[in-house]
Amino acid sequence: MNRRTFLIGAAAAVACGRAARLNVFNWSDYVSPDTIPNFEREFGIRVRYGTYESVPEMLAKVMSGNSGWDVIFPSAEYIQPMRDMGLLARLRHDWLPNLSMLDRQFQKPPWDPGLDWSVPYMHGATGIVYQKSLGWTPRAWSDLWDARLAGKLTMLDDPPEVFAACLKTLGYSLNSADPGELKAAQQRAIAQKPLVRAYLNAEVRDQLVAGDVSAAQAWAVTAAQAIAAAPEKLAFAFPSEGFPRYADNVAILRESSRQEAAHHFIAYLLRPQVAAAIVETTHTAACNGAAQAFLPEALRSDPVLYPPADILARGEWFAPQSAAGQRLRDRLWTEIKT
Amino acid sequence: MRLRNAFLAPTAILMAVTMLAPLAIIVVYSLLTRGAYGGVELPWTLENFTRLWDPVYGVIFVRSFWIAAVSTALCLILGFPLAMFIARSGPRKNLYLSLVILPFWTSFLIRTYAWMFLLRDTGIVNSALQGLGIIREPLALLYNDGVVILGLVYGFLPFMVLPLYATLERLDPSLLEAAADLGARPRDTLVRVTLPLCAPGIRAGAILVFVPCLGTYLTSDLLGGSKTVLIGNLVQNQFTASRDWPFGAALSLALMAIAMILLFAARRRGEELL
Repeated sequence: MNRRTFLIGAAAAVACGRAARLNVFNWSDYVSPDTIPNFEREFGIRVRYGTYESVPEMLAKVMSGNSGWDVIFPSAEYIQPMRDMGLLARLRHDWLPNLSMLDRQFQKPPWDPGLDWSVPYMHGATGIVYQKSLGWTPRAWSDLWDARLAGKLTMLDDPPEVFAACLKTLGYSLNSADPGELKAAQQRAIAQKPLVRAYLNAEVRDQLVAGDVSAAQAWAVTAAQAIAAAPEKLAFAFPSEGFPRYADNVAILRESSRQEAAHHFIAYLLRPQVAAAIVETTHTAACNGAAQAFLPEALRSDPVLYPPADILARGEWFAPQSAAGQRLRDRLWTEIKT
Repeated sequence: MRLRNAFLAPTAILMAVTMLAPLAIIVVYSLLTRGAYGGVELPWTLENFTRLWDPVYGVIFVRSFWIAAVSTALCLILGFPLAMFIARSGPRKNLYLSLVILPFWTSFLIRTYAWMFLLRDTGIVNSALQGLGIIREPLALLYNDGVVILGLVYGFLPFMVLPLYATLERLDPSLLEAAADLGARPRDTLVRVTLPLCAPGIRAGAILVFVPCLGTYLTSDLLGGSKTVLIGNLVQNQFTASRDWPFGAALSLALMAIAMILLFAARRRGEELL
């Protein structure tokens, strides 16, 4: 840095009256408590950190194009739509030297093969958590139609997930937009409803641990947390018909005027030690392959978070729905709930 | 007169900005087309309103009305004796009134979660009943319509008690004495004197309970386990999972229109409200 750029930088810093800032908008419970403070200390950048509970919530805020956020964490199926809406900035790989830390399967993810717009962050799957005391083992989605589970079964309160389970029992793709297939799936959901205790998302965790619920359709994150709380009671199954896989990615908004700081932040998250610390706190699975080496053995070999490749091969990624397909699903979903 | 206007101006501006502007946005959104991933796009359309006639939404409206009506009736049945008791408890009045308002010190969300802990299979109620040997298997107390109504009655009872108390407190005791002197039994006094004089309070309480019950979404989600949708959930879904803002806007306008009609219907008698 020569004297002139230093003076300009200093003048800018004085004009702003404070250190450089970065605005990070993430899912709740998705970093370790020291992730952000360590970044602030090392880079001298102050982070304004906000959280959201669902992608539509985040999308509603950033869609305006002047939301004030720089870094966001969209799910895989939203990368393409957000790109189409012109919301995402193209990533500069020369500022992300450690992209190679990513696990091989995330070096060329189907939703962004060149990693031009997003960097995979955490991933997981949807499956079945069940009580070992059940006396039998649910292995397939179709087992969730078993009358023995009546009143003790919960499904996710998330239309794509419930449709996914129903579509898979019928042998269809979970991204189906075919009206006939979706109607058949709806009939499956209606047939299952008398057995369903409630449609719950992360809240099901406590009820699984307490023993109120015998089997639940659940995200791997929720499952891993529940099993960690009651390892002797609970187990997880990856359904034999196939199951949804999801991945959250870190991306930079095009509106951001802090592209360089944002890239620093992504490169920081890509450090194996940083990713490993986040996994330890949140019990999610990092897309960062190199982080594995820094995990305690129990987490590294956790069959829920890091299942073997032959199981993952049965998974199917969620894809964006067309407006027409989305609308049909909404209507069918409303009918299921009426 | 001019001074009065000057003092009114801040409130008027605040009301215009915080009520009329959002309402205008909702009206505009309800007439637009949904964007593929949320948001709104041109062209202008009335389709969001014609969609409201779909029977599946009619069922949801009727269900929501039914649940709100039952909750309001229960609030009245429970709230009237309580308001009467407080109005007649002399120096302790203020203490009892504070107790009625006390729950507002905690968020409704947290209190709803507290109900979940009480009522779940391994919750306090079921554990106690099992411990006493009254039941063997836990009762399915959560996740049905009854518990949704319980949650609503619990949450909105103060809104019924307070206006009832206000009218009962103003009720001239000499009227009740006169009724007794003229030979009316207590039941006659209640039906022919007290209740008619309390009508404005009953109406105000009923509106204050019914309208928020009609728009509720939290109680049906948490205590009802999302098994059935009410109008509030339907509106919420349009803005989140379904990403259909224009239809969500049309639904909320329909809900607002119904609430307005009820207000006008209740006011028609020419009596003051509240």
